[in-house]
Amino acid sequence: MSTMPPPGEGASPPPPPPPVKYPLPAPPPAPVAPPPFAPAQNATVDTSNERLADGVNRCPACGATDIQLRPADGMLMCLFCRHEWTEARLDTTVDTGDIASLTGTTVGSGAADIAADANAVVTLKCGGCGAEVVVNTAEQMGARCHWCRHVLTINEQVPNGAVPDAVLPFTVTHDQAVATITEFAGKRRTFADRAFVRDFTPENIVGVYMPYMVVDANVSADVAGLAEIQTRRYTRGSGDDEETFYDADVYSIDRHVDFTTDDLTIEASAERADMNTAVNTNNVINTILPFDTENAVKWNAAYLSGFTSEKRDQDVSHTTPELERQLLSIARAQLVGSVEAYDRGVRWERERLQVHGSRWLAMCLPVWLYSYYHEKNGESMVHYIAVNGRTGEVMGSVPVSKPRLLAAALTVGTVLEGAVIAFLAMGR
Amino acid sequence: MIAHVAALLASSNGGGTAVLLALGPAGGGGLYFALWRFYRNTDKSHSFESETRVVAQPITGHDQKVDEIKGTKKSGIDGDNKTNHRQRVERVP
Repeated sequence: MSTMPPPGEGASPPPPPPPVKYPLPAPPPAPVAPPPFAPAQNATVDTSNERLADGVNRCPACGATDIQLRPADGMLMCLFCRHEWTEARLDTTVDTGDIASLTGTTVGSGAADIAADANAVVTLKCGGCGAEVVVNTAEQMGARCHWCRHVLTINEQVPNGAVPDAVLPFTVTHDQAVATITEFAGKRRTFADRAFVRDFTPENIVGVYMPYMVVDANVSADVAGLAEIQTRRYTRGSGDDEETFYDADVYSIDRHVDFTTDDLTIEASAERADMNTAVNTNNVINTILPFDTENAVKWNAAYLSGFTSEKRDQDVSHTTPELERQLLSIARAQLVGSVEAYDRGVRWERERLQVHGSRWLAMCLPVWLYSYYHEKNGESMVHYIAVNGRTGEVMGSVPVSKPRLLAAALTVGTVLEGAVIAFLAMGR
Repeated sequence: MIAHVAALLASSNGGGTAVLLALGPAGGGGLYFALWRFYRNTDKSHSFESETRVVAQPITGHDQKVDEIKGTKKSGIDGDNKTNHRQRVERVP
């Protein structure tokens, strides 16, 4: 067996490109003694809507309390006099500053920690007749007084996580969302579970305001590992015994990157943040991110009239691990261009993240949701099809009919096998 | 049918025939998996790495040759995670 490559195949390739040289990294940063989210560094941004209170909130033109969002233009509309208006954009009323100069942890007043004894059920005193009306903020942010018919809404930020810093109103209408979901499911009809096809009623979609933490961050990341560049590729042996071999140079590399992220969006509901696809389909709701959160407006519960909502149950400390995981992933993505010379790949082995500053705002973001409870052979799962209430992006999970899928796979497999056997028989 | 396949395998002079005969089961299995993924979308999630507004400063770092590999059959580095950004590695303080 020859140790040299056969002529023509084993010629050494051109010399590998020299590794990209970067300026020496800055001296290692001094250890940061306090953790980046130490409570002592916390600052609060007041995002409350002083104009509104809990209870009766009236149309500025006529004083009626029947106010609803008009998704076609994202405006609030009085159902009595048709007057339209909107709340101010959050970024025009709150100083959001330069992200690159962020230090410490800044938290919006609507993203403050949820008090341990906070109750989701709030009792409002009707400003029209004095009756007491109970609202379960876990599901809705307003109710109609059963005596005088005034609409009462919850607008004051109390420490139960119900009123966030901002809300992003729906602009995708119910009809548009129905059409989007119908098209999505229509493409997945043939192998869908028959009960799903039979029961599919897209008109039943529900508009839900989901709770999220929207985070700006000023970050540094360091990553180190090993990388390889191929220096030679050659073959030994011939025919069926031919094997390919490689020579390579191994490098120890490290990279440092400073960056800022704007409006990184993280689930603030523990149930939605659980994305174990073996038992739930929450990942499809996550997939329709991002939202145009820069257009979020100050809180007004009237935006939620006619929709449902989920209450935030996660604080800054709960969502910090997910933020750091995403920041590290973003850092690694930023580095790809700097290691392109390593054609045999890179194995990152160590990573470090320093969050110099972060700003957290709680927001309710709009999602059209079709849900289908599927139970078969003792196993059950809720399948969602979700539409982003701003961009119209859709993603979903459709339960499959395993017998149909198996039949298709067996048919294709048999046809392929038959073709192969016929081909081989012809060659004998 | 089985006898025919056995005769083909017996008459073959290499692994090429076996690879061809594996096309049927592989094609069927691949179709099942691909369709299941298309319906269930279990692999989907928010691509925050590319869909978030990021402003990054120039990257710094250094590279030092530490070893040479001769005559390996592996076409790439072990544990390549250059593009697997979500695989977490040892976190250092």
